[in-house]
Amino acid sequence: MGVTCVSQMPVAEGKSVQQTVELLTRKLEMLGAEKQGTFCVDCETYHTASSTLGSQGQAGKLMYVMHNSEYPLSCFALFENGPCLIADTNFDVLMVKLKGFFQSAKASKIETRGTRYQYCDFLVKVGTVTMGPSARGISVEVEYGPCVVPSDCWSLLLEFLQSFLGSHTPGAPAVFGNRHDAVYGPADTVVQYMELFNKIRKQQQVACPQEW
Amino acid sequence: MSGVRAVRISIESACEKQVQEVGLDGTETYLQPLSMSQNLARLAQRIDFSQGSGSEEEEAAGPEGDAQDWAGAGSSADQDDEEGLVKFQPSLWPWDSVRNNLRSALTEMCVLYDVLSIVRDKKFMTLDPVSQDAVPPKQNPQTLQLISKKKSLAGAAQILLKGAERLTKSVTENQENKLQRDFNSELLRLRQHWKLRKVGDKILGDLSYRSAGSLFPHHGTFEVIKNTDIDLDKKIPEDYCPLDVQIPSDLEGSAYIKVSIQKQAPDIGDLGTVNLFKRPLPKSKPGSPHWQTKLEAAQNVLLCKEIFAQLSREAVQFKSQIPHIVVKNQIISQPFPSLQLSISLCHSSNDKKSQKSATEKQSPEDHLYVLEHNLHLLMREFHKQTLSSITMPHPASAPFGHKRMRLSGPQAFDKNEINSLQSSEGLLEKIIKQAKHIFLRSRTAATIDSLASRIEDPQIQAHWSNINDVYESSVKVLITSQGYEQICKWAWIAISFPLRTTFAASHVSWSIQLQLNIGVEQIRVVHRDGRVITLSHQEQELQDFLLSQMSQHQVHAVQQLAKVMGWQVLSFSNHVGLGPIESIGNASAITVASPNGDYAISVRNGPESGSKIMVQFPRNQCKDLPKSDVLQDSKWNHLRGPFREVQWNKMEGRNFVYKMELLMSALSPCLL
Repeated sequence: MGVTCVSQMPVAEGKSVQQTVELLTRKLEMLGAEKQGTFCVDCETYHTASSTLGSQGQAGKLMYVMHNSEYPLSCFALFENGPCLIADTNFDVLMVKLKGFFQSAKASKIETRGTRYQYCDFLVKVGTVTMGPSARGISVEVEYGPCVVPSDCWSLLLEFLQSFLGSHTPGAPAVFGNRHDAVYGPADTVVQYMELFNKIRKQQQVACPQEW
Repeated sequence: MSGVRAVRISIESACEKQVQEVGLDGTETYLQPLSMSQNLARLAQRIDFSQGSGSEEEEAAGPEGDAQDWAGAGSSADQDDEEGLVKFQPSLWPWDSVRNNLRSALTEMCVLYDVLSIVRDKKFMTLDPVSQDAVPPKQNPQTLQLISKKKSLAGAAQILLKGAERLTKSVTENQENKLQRDFNSELLRLRQHWKLRKVGDKILGDLSYRSAGSLFPHHGTFEVIKNTDIDLDKKIPEDYCPLDVQIPSDLEGSAYIKVSIQKQAPDIGDLGTVNLFKRPLPKSKPGSPHWQTKLEAAQNVLLCKEIFAQLSREAVQFKSQIPHIVVKNQIISQPFPSLQLSISLCHSSNDKKSQKSATEKQSPEDHLYVLEHNLHLLMREFHKQTLSSITMPHPASAPFGHKRMRLSGPQAFDKNEINSLQSSEGLLEKIIKQAKHIFLRSRTAATIDSLASRIEDPQIQAHWSNINDVYESSVKVLITSQGYEQICKWAWIAISFPLRTTFAASHVSWSIQLQLNIGVEQIRVVHRDGRVITLSHQEQELQDFLLSQMSQHQVHAVQQLAKVMGWQVLSFSNHVGLGPIESIGNASAITVASPNGDYAISVRNGPESGSKIMVQFPRNQCKDLPKSDVLQDSKWNHLRGPFREVQWNKMEGRNFVYKMELLMSALSPCLL
């Protein structure tokens, strides 16, 4: 488990999502990265049920249940700005039992799938974000294995990102900002993905008429 | 009688009235005592008025007549008178007799009193005790004690002897019973070693490893039968046992797994014909009954079958680079090229037929007992895994597996960590790795030993470490020159005394040390100077490497020797690019100059080409130099000039370094 940075690659002008992904992967292969299979990160959203809200009429909290193929036996459950729970895969079954308290917003299942590349100590995952049948964007995840403290290796990561993302290099993720010297964990990666998915969801809502 | 004081006597008549009857409530009704008139009447009734006086006379005549018969007439008349007088007296006083008796009693008492008072004074009468037998001597009480103790001890001894007798009787009875051994006691003994259960009227037992964690589908049931075919008339034989066990027919005999490594690949036609040799049955413990040996042998057969089944299943299922061949009861695989590992299940039943055929002696030398033992251990380990405390007890919602696997979800383990938890190697892979390591280790040892015996100068020593792993062993190889192992340490001290305080101790000893780590497929060599070299399993590589190290050692030795002797090292190279090319490694060379600069020795040593030593002489010692006009001054004649080769094989000295030392000392002039 190393420090990971998840970012979005905007679709190139005049090209489809698939073509941009292909461009990126070709760049990576030229760099010398070797393909190591596929990956998948998915996210389901749940509302807290209205029956538990009480008379004050608060807005229901959103809970996200995510899976990451990098940690095949784990399941992550998190609130927007709240805690993140790492659990066994039996958690999904538990959610079925908690139907009374958490209702799933079925329409908003979002996932990203793609290929996994290994370049020495770096692990690069380029994936297509899809919601239902349509592709909504491109996610790029870079992990630097040897280091677990974000502040120590952010500059190295940034340099590496610049080498193949060019001008689309992101800034430091928000999760780094909170605790610079704390140890990075899988939960932080998942939080980054959640933020990315939310961003893409909002983007798409704005850009909906241009979808076709 | 008047002198004696009168004694008052009180008389009381027993006024006991006669009891007439006793009432139901206990009251007694007394008879009224007779009144005077009634008494008189009673007495009157007694009188027999019919007799009168005539009867009195007759009575008197009666005794008279008798008296006359005996005595004279005179005495009879007196008697008659006395009798007549006597008849009158009873009517005088009714208490007379009482008075007379009392009077006589009083007289007696007075006499007694008088006698006692006289005796008390002891003047006229004394009481003398009746003389008895003489008193026995003073030991009497002690002997009496002794006799009494003896008697009591004898009594106690008697009781103890009786008890001892009873015990010996019971012991002999038990021994007799043991010899006879009835069925139930034998069954009890059997039950102490094996699991038995009763099914209907049969007693069945279980000799499989299922309760120990095995998953082999063999039932492993044996039956216990009563041995009733004894002839009670004949004497019961010594090894008679009332119990017999019947084992399943496919577990009869004895089995073992033969693991062997052969160098040459066999013909295809030879596959499947495994050379069995009938291993002598392991000696059973002297006290164990025959059913124990039988059952143990059957269990061993079952375990061997399970091991072989597991190995053959893995050989077929898992793909490897070189496929394994499974034929009948043999599994053949090739760990290294031109090397063949064969694992075979040798099951010999106790039939007479097979005994005959097994008379041909096969050499058991290539059977690796260690690997067979390891196979047994690995199988048992596999059994234990299914029952280990890591897996049991476990929560109902978690799957079977390693305990840490349950944490893999909440702790977000990635694939590497998950793979490290799961052991994915099968039995066959493990045993092949072990076989590879054993083979590599033995071949390395053979290589080093052959080199050591072939080459005397320099010497090569191998120190094998005692503690090894199944997959890794290590050996330390030292290359030294005989007689010059430690000299450099002394030399260092000697040189550092005068002024040279900063002396770089580069080589503390002349030996080259190599640490070899023999793994499964490779040998890793760690040199003393820090280089790490990986050699493959080819033995030629190791041999070449060692030879090149030995040649380098010689040149290093010259360098050390130069330091000791005070010679200056002019040049030194481990890998010279000049001269003939060596096929193994590189040649090394060194040039040293004598302390006064007159002579120089140049040494070139290669693994194949051997050593070449040349000495450079000063010009004025060489006679065959052409004179030229270039040199004007005679001082130039003191410089070193041409080289001349030394016939090293004619040099005195038992090894290279010794010879070199002699040469150096010969060329350094004495300063005396």
